[in-house]
Amino acid sequence: MSAAEIVVDGLHKRYGTTKALDGMSFTVQPGRVTGFLGPNGAGKSTTMRVILGLDAVDAGTALIEGKPYHRLRQPLSHVGSLLDAAALHPNRTARNHLLWLAHSQGLTARRVDQVIEQVGLTSAARRKAGGYSLGMRQRLGIGAALLGDPPIIMLDEPFNGMDPEGIIWMRGFLRSLAAEGRAVLVSSHLMSEVQDTADQLVVAGRGKVIADLSMADLISAASGNRVNLRTPARQAAMTVLAQAGAKVVATGPDSVTVSGLSPDRIVMLLNENAVPFSEVSAHRATLEDAYLELTRDAVEFRAAAPTEASW
Amino acid sequence: MSTALHAEWTKLRTVASPLWLLLGMIAATVALSAGATSVVTCAAAGCGGDVTRYSLIGVELGQALVAILAVLVISSEYSSGMIRTTLTAVPRRTTVFAAKAITVTGVVAVAGTIAVLASLLVGRFILPRQGFTASHGHPVLSLADGLTLRATAGSILYLTLIALLSLGIAVVVRDSATSIGVILGLLYLPPILAQVIGNPHWQHLLQRLAPMSAGLTIQATTNLNSLPICPWAGLGATAAWSAAALTSGVVVLRTRDA
Amino acid sequence: MVTGSVTPYRSGQRDGRDGFAQLLHSEWTKFHTVRGWMLGMAAAALMLVLVALLAGISSDQRGAPAVPTGPGGEPVTDNFYFVHQPLTGDGSITVSVSGLDSSVPEGLGELRPGVVPWAKAGLIVKESTREGSPYAAIMVTGSHGVRMQDGYLNDRAGPVSAAAVRWLRLERSGDAITGYASADGKDWTRVGTVHLELGPTAQGGLFVASPQSVEGMGTTASVSTATFGDLRLQGGWTGRNWAGEQVGGESPSFAGYPPPAAGSFTRSSGTFTVTGAGDIAPAVRYSLPTAGTLGNILTGTFAGLIAVVVVAALFITTEYRKKLILVTLTASPKRGRVLLAKAIVLGAVTFVAGLAGAVVAIQLGERLARSNGVYLFPVTSSTELRVALGTAALLAAASVLALSVGAIFRTSAGAVTTVIAAIVLPYLLVANPFMPADAARLLTRVTPAAAFAVQQTLVQYPQVENPYTPYNDYYPLAPWAGLAVLAGYAVASLAIAAVVLRRRDA
Repeated sequence: MSAAEIVVDGLHKRYGTTKALDGMSFTVQPGRVTGFLGPNGAGKSTTMRVILGLDAVDAGTALIEGKPYHRLRQPLSHVGSLLDAAALHPNRTARNHLLWLAHSQGLTARRVDQVIEQVGLTSAARRKAGGYSLGMRQRLGIGAALLGDPPIIMLDEPFNGMDPEGIIWMRGFLRSLAAEGRAVLVSSHLMSEVQDTADQLVVAGRGKVIADLSMADLISAASGNRVNLRTPARQAAMTVLAQAGAKVVATGPDSVTVSGLSPDRIVMLLNENAVPFSEVSAHRATLEDAYLELTRDAVEFRAAAPTEASW
Repeated sequence: MSTALHAEWTKLRTVASPLWLLLGMIAATVALSAGATSVVTCAAAGCGGDVTRYSLIGVELGQALVAILAVLVISSEYSSGMIRTTLTAVPRRTTVFAAKAITVTGVVAVAGTIAVLASLLVGRFILPRQGFTASHGHPVLSLADGLTLRATAGSILYLTLIALLSLGIAVVVRDSATSIGVILGLLYLPPILAQVIGNPHWQHLLQRLAPMSAGLTIQATTNLNSLPICPWAGLGATAAWSAAALTSGVVVLRTRDA
Repeated sequence: MVTGSVTPYRSGQRDGRDGFAQLLHSEWTKFHTVRGWMLGMAAAALMLVLVALLAGISSDQRGAPAVPTGPGGEPVTDNFYFVHQPLTGDGSITVSVSGLDSSVPEGLGELRPGVVPWAKAGLIVKESTREGSPYAAIMVTGSHGVRMQDGYLNDRAGPVSAAAVRWLRLERSGDAITGYASADGKDWTRVGTVHLELGPTAQGGLFVASPQSVEGMGTTASVSTATFGDLRLQGGWTGRNWAGEQVGGESPSFAGYPPPAAGSFTRSSGTFTVTGAGDIAPAVRYSLPTAGTLGNILTGTFAGLIAVVVVAALFITTEYRKKLILVTLTASPKRGRVLLAKAIVLGAVTFVAGLAGAVVAIQLGERLARSNGVYLFPVTSSTELRVALGTAALLAAASVLALSVGAIFRTSAGAVTTVIAAIVLPYLLVANPFMPADAARLLTRVTPAAAFAVQQTLVQYPQVENPYTPYNDYYPLAPWAGLAVLAGYAVASLAIAAVVLRRRDA
């Protein structure tokens, strides 16, 4: 395993009586997209700001390649970040926005033009950024993050406000960055945004990490050990399986969910007792369910009706 | 209209900065009046000065804070994009603007009354110690004196007119820093420029037309014949500026995209 | 996922330079790519020029009498009552002065006794009765004892004595004039010797002058009467008839006699009684109220200042309002250096704009004023350079102050108002005619308005009484010291802003 690019260790920060960070710890590895998930108010943005040296913490450290951010020479060639796509002067053109940023790192205008091409803004580069759509601003922000060609990319809610085409572009883009060996940290409050992109998930709630696992682990954890069984003899099946120590729940007139027994064992028991059945399959919960399960206790502000957040 | 008014009042009341600005305005007005009255002495001024005017000089500083308040009421809506929410809730833009103007005028009138009366009290307390006594022809400042009453009421009116002027300019300019620059330039520059204008006719004209030098003639209680413009007409000149600014504000608000 | 075999990405980007220069470059790019800010700076320069034009074209003094100038070209007041006759070659003149009484007006057409500290009565030898011609004089004064003065600028004190009658003598030997004073007419003290180009025949005799008296915040004309006795001409000089004459009676620097007084002399049995008004001295603001100064021409500095302050505040507060500060501080995590780079870029841009505006304003303003017959207090080219550079530096310091206050407040409206009120309001207050001189001097010493001293070109003369207040273009601090006050505020607030910026979460 190669050395972690970002190491966040025991961050604590409070605003008055509110604990914004309460022992946040995780690492970000190269070559993978790490999804930083959690409900609003979980401390994701604050953690990113701390990593970038923008906010101070009461305790803990956040190191980039082993150093605190403010010790990096030419920080943009170590970490590229996008916190807020609206952070622009509306009367400056996109190209000039990247130009001042390039000059701060001793980079040239040629690099600026490369990046503009890379994010697909060439035709709009000399327009005032104030007239940009949110999607274009996101691209410009990504361009700023790529300017120093850094091994680490950190994006706060990059999918926000993007149209479907933009989201597809962004996913492919993040995958390609990771494929080049870069460490990519992407925050989001929606599982669906990162489930096809992220390799690793860091799930935050109430200022700390409540789960840090690979996407594969999440998928298997989500299915649990439950098995869906479809049978015309529902009552008989339930009796047999319960006697064998399983927990059985009826889910329909001809279907039950079984936990505590493997599918093979279930098939064997039903055959032995001559209970007919038409289907035995591992239960697949959606990743969204698994994610909600993980963060259930950590949600600070829950809507009265637990609908999917639409912000 | 009353709902729009209620909304604007709630908006003004529920953030802290307007209250602090108004308190700051009172403090700045009284502090400058106190400072000025405690350095001017009867002997140095030849005992011929206008004690009411000395006591009310703080208005020259207080008006700057009134301008900030008025500008922020407008520009904070534009900079935060809240103007769109406001105009969605109350689509009649003139109504919105009128509600804002009434609310701001109201709070400035209240705070201005406190500031002006407190300045007068400070002058009443300090000036006799500086030699401005009845024996030198300066009876104690009192609202029973018609000219002092006019100066006091006029100063309060002047502050509300500056609030309206600032509102109008803020709507036209939008950006808060630039609005403040324009307003303070309009108030403070003419008296300075008047000093270098060699042509007495032009100089006189500038003093009659400029919102601050014309409007503050309302504070005069002595040498009324040597004023560039008579006091009520002077305040009228300021009112004309405010009216012009408000009209431009309404026109711009109605014709420009929010 | 396979993690063991990942090769971390290493940038193909060549390491750029990492230094302060690139921060400056970055901030300059940031500044010049917002057109409104560049226009704001251009507007500031334009304000200086426009106000200079306004001042120039609004003044018309064509046909006004010429301002008299002294041997060095400096404007002078040369108005006094002269009882004189031509004196050829070398010789000496002696007189006793037994009284010098001054009066100031009280009401219309009435006079009351008053103290005029620099009322003058004594002996003078002068090239001619032309205003501004070279002279040497020895005199008693209202309250500064015996003085010997020459060339309008030079003043030296004579012996101190309590005697009621003072004896004075002037002696010419070639181009050397020596003044003596005595308390009894027997023991003489040499006060000084000066060298003058007088020509073979000079005008010499008795004179009385009585400068404007400072009353409260203003001045009023005064008149003085002196009693002379024992007038003697010796050496090569011989007596003829004494003629009385008001020198410089039509001069723009002469305030005239307070009615009903008039200049005169009477002679009865060796006693001369001479009544005179005016002064023999360098011109000051009050003796030349219609004359202009570089400071007047540059009054547009106030207008330019407002534009500069607005741009400067926006340069930092826009970063906060648009959250651009996040990007800035991510690109350059050393916050103090970011602020310093901003201040340097802003200060430099303002300085260049201010200097361009000031130079053009001075050139245009001077030309216009002269073509309109307005007399300008003369300045050396080094003074002119100081005023232009100082005006640019004043604006630059104000911009840094506004930037710092903006960084502390994070809102532009508050920052703009604070800085404008701190610089312009003290100036407005001292421009209030009723503001006592002491308070005005204090305000222009401790507030940022002290910086306007850098535009000052008038000189304070101890031997001329004048309300030397900021209202009359006389600042208590030396030019660069005044500027240093504003610069001090700018540097102090920059330091506070740096600390605040470092402590606070972005």
